[in-house]
Amino acid sequence: MKTYILNLSGKIKEAVANTFRVCMREYQLIFTDLGVVVLLLVVPVVYPALYSFIYYPEVVHDLPVSVVDLSHSPASRDYIRSLNATPEVKIEHYCLSMEEAIVRFKKGQSNGIVVIPENFSNNIATGQQAVISVYADMKFFLHYKAIMMGSAFVTLQKGSDIQIERLMAGGLSAHQADIQANPILLNGNAMANSAGGFASYGIPAALMLIIQQTLVLSIGILAGTARERHAGGLLVPPDRRRIGTLRLVVGKSAAYFTIYLILSVYMLAFIPRIFGYPQMAGASELSALLIPYLLSAIFMGMTLSVLFKNRESPMLLYLFASFPLLFLSGIIWPLSNMGPLWLAVREIFPSSNAMYGFIKMNTLGAGISETRSEIMALWVQSGIYFLMACLVYWKQVKIADFRFQIVMPCKQS
Amino acid sequence: MKSTINRILAIARREVYRMSSRKLYFLAVLVFPVLSMLFFASVMKEGLPTRLPIAVVDLDQTVTSRKFVRNIDATQSSSVVMQLNSENEAMSELRKTNIYGFVMFPRNMQADIMAGRQPVVSFYYQNAFIITGGLIQNDITKMLHTLAAGVNIQKREAMGIPSQTMMANVQPIKMDTHLLFNPTTSYPAYVTSIMLPIMLQIFIVMITVYSIGIEIKERTSHEWLKMADKSMVVAIAGKLLPYTIIFLILMTFQNFILYRVLMVPLNVNMGWMILASGIFVLAYQAIGVFFIGLLPMMRHALNLTAFYTILALSLVGFSFPAEAMLPPFRAWAVLFPARHYMHIFQTQMLAGFEVWYTAWSYLFLILFILLPITILGRLKSALIYQDFIEDIHKNEVLTKYHAET
Repeated sequence: MKTYILNLSGKIKEAVANTFRVCMREYQLIFTDLGVVVLLLVVPVVYPALYSFIYYPEVVHDLPVSVVDLSHSPASRDYIRSLNATPEVKIEHYCLSMEEAIVRFKKGQSNGIVVIPENFSNNIATGQQAVISVYADMKFFLHYKAIMMGSAFVTLQKGSDIQIERLMAGGLSAHQADIQANPILLNGNAMANSAGGFASYGIPAALMLIIQQTLVLSIGILAGTARERHAGGLLVPPDRRRIGTLRLVVGKSAAYFTIYLILSVYMLAFIPRIFGYPQMAGASELSALLIPYLLSAIFMGMTLSVLFKNRESPMLLYLFASFPLLFLSGIIWPLSNMGPLWLAVREIFPSSNAMYGFIKMNTLGAGISETRSEIMALWVQSGIYFLMACLVYWKQVKIADFRFQIVMPCKQS
Repeated sequence: MKSTINRILAIARREVYRMSSRKLYFLAVLVFPVLSMLFFASVMKEGLPTRLPIAVVDLDQTVTSRKFVRNIDATQSSSVVMQLNSENEAMSELRKTNIYGFVMFPRNMQADIMAGRQPVVSFYYQNAFIITGGLIQNDITKMLHTLAAGVNIQKREAMGIPSQTMMANVQPIKMDTHLLFNPTTSYPAYVTSIMLPIMLQIFIVMITVYSIGIEIKERTSHEWLKMADKSMVVAIAGKLLPYTIIFLILMTFQNFILYRVLMVPLNVNMGWMILASGIFVLAYQAIGVFFIGLLPMMRHALNLTAFYTILALSLVGFSFPAEAMLPPFRAWAVLFPARHYMHIFQTQMLAGFEVWYTAWSYLFLILFILLPITILGRLKSALIYQDFIEDIHKNEVLTKYHAET
């Protein structure tokens, strides 16, 4: 019994030592490969900052809009002044006719047209409904949103003013008139990202995607390089020391896991703080999501690496997936408006649930139990991809052993 | 002249042979580009999202509040999927993303309306997802204003104010919105038509860099140059010719999906579409040549390609308009052919504007095609001296050398 325990502890020690050696070897491989260092360290550091500067203005403000004032009245000028004062819209030109406004639009000098009809002030004076025409285009969603919000706000505001004025002329007090015009008060609240900022919306999700993409690419590039180097295009060297599949997989993934844990702190805690992005999730929420995400992404990378025969393959064959994965996350296009086929494909990649879960936790403030389904999915993916990675490496080890026996049968025993 | 053409064709034949020797080419120039086209053509269902799930917290429980709930359910973008009992419950559902927003009717709302105490109706929507947030905000706000106007009308009728001028009294100014150009296009089809070229540019630049870089890496560049009689123009023309043809076919396939399957309107002569597609492909091939000439070690050139092509999605300024970016990024955006192509697509193909409104974009695209001229000399020396070999192969060559001696 005693010898058995001694034996066992010796075996465990050896296993740990071997795993540790694999891990150290992987560090060495990573940090001596400039291409991979750039991908692993520079991209996660530079991209978040770069994207933050690209989207720095967050919202579209002072969108140039031309106005065609056919009414030429104090009322129309007042309307235009108020429109110009909204943060969304800026009057760039007073056009004499619709034709002139359209030419300016075609030239790209304006992004929309507001037309005030001839009868505008007359209608207001005689108690008829005045109609403002707003011409927008959907070329850019944020332009459309800006012009719509600006003009809707001014129209409601002016309408309410006129109504109260008339009611007061009819003999009501200011308070009574206000009650009549606004029998219900409306209180609209944006939960999360209340300013509707584009960076606050897009960058947290992009950060999560960058983690998976750089992981899979680096693992793939190192695997491709290994195969170019090893005889027979194998993932593992044929003359390797006898290290079991499990130790190989655990040791390698430990190297990536530790590197990415540090990078994640920078990307998910440091960058949001600097640029003022939503940061509702605490350390425990983040780790609950991040740990299964890193594991599943690493194991998926190791599984996919069997497909990359050359160093260049991952860039040519995997990088493009970033854009479809962005769409599959459910952040851009609602999942309720996606077909069943793509919803199934969505579940293949850890990034989908991680991005969605991260937005839930970090932007909306969901707790761990409210993000249960995403976290569970990531653990299931971790498990499946771990088994697949083991299978891939086990097969490679078997082939390597077989070749080694053929080349040097005497050294085996 | 004839011998030049023969040389180009011979190199093109050699390239086709090289392509057929590796699965990588087949996947990177055909399978994955087509798959990503099919993805973007099918991932978004027709039209803007409708019937997005929202909730109602009705603390009033009167005829009025129930009528309001029915009206909100009837809006185009949202549908009331749950009635909850408290704000906390609704907030939790919102965080779980089971709903995208909720409306809360306060206790005694109906009584307060009657008594003129102006009850506050609260409306929460989540803005973590910009498109759905924007749609719901817009729709629900409009509906709540309509409901308030309805109450206004009812009270006026009760006071005996004549009803012909009612709308003019309640809503003295009305806003009519019109879409300038192409109001019929479905929004998802439009997004698809912007995404497809952005997808394709990744493949074009990648494979251009790879097909040239691999000659240096595997030391076959001498043979290639010899076939071109040391003329870089002939060498590159021959090498890229097969890819140009393949990508032109892919562009045609893409245009077929857009204009024939997704029914995006084409408001311009077909010739312009073909011309724009052609120079789009050439511009990106030119950028590929420029990158590998700039960094003849393939892994660095591929990293540069990845950096550049991924940034295209942001810097074409589709999701976040370039005009709203800081000045340095506005300038940087000009360096993406996809941006000029997008402009041509939006203003010429889609809106049908006359060609001179897009003249600058065509000019820029043509300038990109001339870009490789600047680095042809550098690329040629890299092809001759092969001095940009990856380290591991240097070792290999050394060990081979030692083994032989």
